[in-house]
Amino acid sequence: MITQMHVKGLMFDPYNNAYIVILRDEEQAEMLPIWVGKSEASSISLALENVAPPRPMTHDFMKSYLDAFNAKVISVVITDLNDNTYFAKVHLMYEDSEYTVDSRPSDAIALALRSQAPIFASESVIRKQSSEELEQWLENLKPEDFGKLDS
Amino acid sequence: MEFQTPQSGEPLIQLTVNRVVEDSNTDTRIVVLTRADGGPETFTIWVGAPEGESIRRAIETAVTPRPMSHDLIKSFGEHFGIKTSRVVLTDVKSSTYYASVYLESKGVTRTIDARPSDAIALALRTQAPIYVTLDVWRRRSGQNLDAWLAKLDTKNLGAQEV
Repeated sequence: MITQMHVKGLMFDPYNNAYIVILRDEEQAEMLPIWVGKSEASSISLALENVAPPRPMTHDFMKSYLDAFNAKVISVVITDLNDNTYFAKVHLMYEDSEYTVDSRPSDAIALALRSQAPIFASESVIRKQSSEELEQWLENLKPEDFGKLDS
Repeated sequence: MEFQTPQSGEPLIQLTVNRVVEDSNTDTRIVVLTRADGGPETFTIWVGAPEGESIRRAIETAVTPRPMSHDLIKSFGEHFGIKTSRVVLTDVKSSTYYASVYLESKGVTRTIDARPSDAIALALRTQAPIYVTLDVWRRRSGQNLDAWLAKLDTKNLGAQEV
């Protein structure tokens, strides 16, 4: 089982000096926070805001690469969580064949947003992350730690 | 997006990535390229830290536990049978370099616009040659940079200034 997720926003995690991409499902019942690096966060942010930088950034280049040969991103799936590392798969269609490519979630999400492709999370990932630890961590967050979140 | 046909006849100089130098003042990296024919002059490009680190990892053939962005592009190419034929540094405008990446699959060639950092990061991972047009080579910046770079390297090596 997989659940479709939407990128609800980006947060800065001051404790780890990293960024968190917040994914939520349609019903807002499940939440998946994914820690990403600064440059990946900035790439996701540009896509969310629909900002076209003067020069193609790495994920824009990735998109051009696929577009050049009519390869389409069908969907991306956050498939697993292991030792605090999330794993993702990018599903693509190229010349009538389907391909699945291993990726970090940050690249997968940055590419999905640029390709209007849906983002899914596997059941196991959602189950694994909903630990008490995370709840506690979120409770300790101060309002000023939140960056831009969708209204 | 624009697909250009490969220009022919324009004189090109092949380059080799020599090293990536850290510019700790500005959180950028300096990619130092040298002529493949052994000429003494260098070609330097300022790039962002993540792109610079990606190029450094490619030079050192360092393997990360998870695929980084340029590894993912390489992976797409491997899955689809798309070959990076070459990358060319094609232009410089307002101190910004422009690059074209030439891709080939089953006899079909496509050219895509890229920043030199992405182009070089992909070229190194796909063993594609890197070229600069003679025109851009002549207009390259930092021709007096060698001395400065040498100083920077020395400074990084020893901590005499602490």
